[in-house]
Amino acid sequence: MEHLLVAILNGTIYGLLLFMVSAGLTLIFGMMGVLNFAHASFYMLGAYVAYALSGVLGFALAVIVSPLVVGAVGVVVERYFLRRVHRFGHAHELLLTFGLSFIIAELIKLFFGNFPVDYRVPADLSFSAFRIGGTDYPVYRLIMGAVALAMFGVIYALLTTTRVGIVVRSAIFRPRMAEALGHNVPLVFMGVFGVGAALAGLAGALAGAFYTTNPNMALELGVLVFVVVVIGGLGSLEGAMVASLLIGIVTSLAVGIDASFADLLGIIGLGDWARAVGGPLTLQVSSLAATIPFALMLLVLLVRPSGLFGDKS
Amino acid sequence: MRTKVLLLVLAVAALVAAPAVLSPGLVNASIQMLIAALFASAFSLLCGQAGMLSFGHSAYFGIGAFATIHAMNAFNGVGLLPTPLLPLMGGFMGLLSGIAAGWFATKRTGVYFSMITLALAELLHALAPHLKEVFGGEAGISAMRMPAWGFTFGSNVEVYYLTLFWVLLCLVLLYLYTLTPVGRLTLGLRENTHRLRFLGYNVHRLGVLVFAVSAMFSGVAGALQALNIEAANYVVLDMQLSASVVLNSYIGGVKVFLGPAIGAALMSFFGYAVSDLTRSWLLYQGVLFVLVMMFLPDGLVGEFAKRVREGRFGLGWERLSAGVLFVVALGFAIVGFVCMVELAQRFFSTDYRSMIVGTPWPPVTLFGREWLPFSAVTWGLPLGLMAVGLGLLNFASRRLDPERGGVS
Repeated sequence: MEHLLVAILNGTIYGLLLFMVSAGLTLIFGMMGVLNFAHASFYMLGAYVAYALSGVLGFALAVIVSPLVVGAVGVVVERYFLRRVHRFGHAHELLLTFGLSFIIAELIKLFFGNFPVDYRVPADLSFSAFRIGGTDYPVYRLIMGAVALAMFGVIYALLTTTRVGIVVRSAIFRPRMAEALGHNVPLVFMGVFGVGAALAGLAGALAGAFYTTNPNMALELGVLVFVVVVIGGLGSLEGAMVASLLIGIVTSLAVGIDASFADLLGIIGLGDWARAVGGPLTLQVSSLAATIPFALMLLVLLVRPSGLFGDKS
Repeated sequence: MRTKVLLLVLAVAALVAAPAVLSPGLVNASIQMLIAALFASAFSLLCGQAGMLSFGHSAYFGIGAFATIHAMNAFNGVGLLPTPLLPLMGGFMGLLSGIAAGWFATKRTGVYFSMITLALAELLHALAPHLKEVFGGEAGISAMRMPAWGFTFGSNVEVYYLTLFWVLLCLVLLYLYTLTPVGRLTLGLRENTHRLRFLGYNVHRLGVLVFAVSAMFSGVAGALQALNIEAANYVVLDMQLSASVVLNSYIGGVKVFLGPAIGAALMSFFGYAVSDLTRSWLLYQGVLFVLVMMFLPDGLVGEFAKRVREGRFGLGWERLSAGVLFVVALGFAIVGFVCMVELAQRFFSTDYRSMIVGTPWPPVTLFGREWLPFSAVTWGLPLGLMAVGLGLLNFASRRLDPERGGVS
């Protein structure tokens, strides 16, 4: 029971982290129609910049400065790269961001080496918050979850209650109309792109210390983030939230299950047959955990092609 | 038209004659180039002609490779599938997996399609290490090329000719495909799906068909790879391969039939040539890709073909001088950039860090010269070269562009 509770808590917090990255991605897509392949690279960049700065500034300041740096990189990418290829169409924009993600990963390997770096939670933050049964629960996880929730709250409030939020939403909804009314839509695009990148950077700066910081983290998370936005429906913030939590919790639960399909078939008396067949039937669910998000995505595509919260396309 | 045919005949003749003059190492590299060319062409059938951008094509390449290894072990070079016919197995399994994956992926278009292909490939990549019987776990599986039809397939020259035969055959088939009615419909898939649907075509089925054909030829490429290295490892299913086929194809230009093949062959040749000299090849590849995307959206071969078509090689004295200036400036910028990357790579490498004991920090050797980490020359020279190169490039391209007051 306590095991289950821990798994659900871990999953929720991982889901919140996924949401921090996918929120920016889905907002940018909703607004510009660009699937930003380099978005997960911003997450990785956040972790590495925070790692590089934490030696000089200390952990807390590094976590604050790093998203600003990454946000600035995002602004540069939008202003000087994406805007140039906009006239060639969406496929070109996607390919450009793909190339940029490639370059970012290679640059990281160039400067920091092709191996995990020693970026850790500082000692005064690595204590346990509370005990569930026999396990200590690290307070840092709670901090990550709290930051993600706070960011969600701030963004939601900004978008729904302020004047800037109204302009941004109108630029997302009807860019041409907003432009005709005299709003500087390219500036809004640049701003949202930068904020989205900064959010991903913040997620990276926080999560990199807890999980590992290595040159593959962008790809590993990036694929999951794409799954999240497909399941949630591209362009939908609520969808991203629900899908992130769903994937976080499901994978976290799956890691702890030792059963296999053979055990399931055992209920109807086919267990021995399945064990004899072997192969995928005897694989434990825990070793399949990495594949579950993709299976979920295929399922969603079959049942509801536009995603849980997506419009019908 | 006649020059085109003549050029093609010359190219094929050169490919046939190549092993006679090349060293064994280069023959091996040529095999890799041929395989890369076929893979890129298969990929571009999907992304260039049908407009469906796949980020997971390594899956079908890998399935072809593994199917071939299993077939090699099962038939042992005798029976239905002797060594020269093994690519059929790769193609067949590629086709089957392409039908299955394509059925899912082509349900959606645009970015959704791209993400589904990516997810499917990652699904396989995540699953593969756990299926030891099929994918051989971490170690992979290996097989032997058996003699057949009077060939031993012991030397890589014989493997080269086998690869060449299959690659040329597949390229011809892919070209013929573009001439068929289905090939024309494939272009329709890219240009206007709605219209195809109104005309009464089953767009989903057509998409699956194109996807499957593309996966089939990718499978053949994978099979040739398996035949060449006599082994397969689940690393082949990695994102790296999918990424490089996207980069190479677009660097060549996906809208021209031979663009992706030439792009892939060139890039894998450069990859082979500089792999001993630099560890940053992938970075250069990425930078080249982004530059092509931004300045030559049709790709290198595509741009060349366009210029030939429009007859934009008119040789006036002024145009020629501006062109020469352009090339020289490009050279400056490239040398500057490469210098900087290589210096950075050396200064940030773990080897260098372990060499630091106290001050002053030791120099690194590059291009037969020693460079100190904190001297102005070390960073000023490459930066200066780059700045001069970029400035001249700007000037030369303005001279070359009639729309901006240059000479035409």
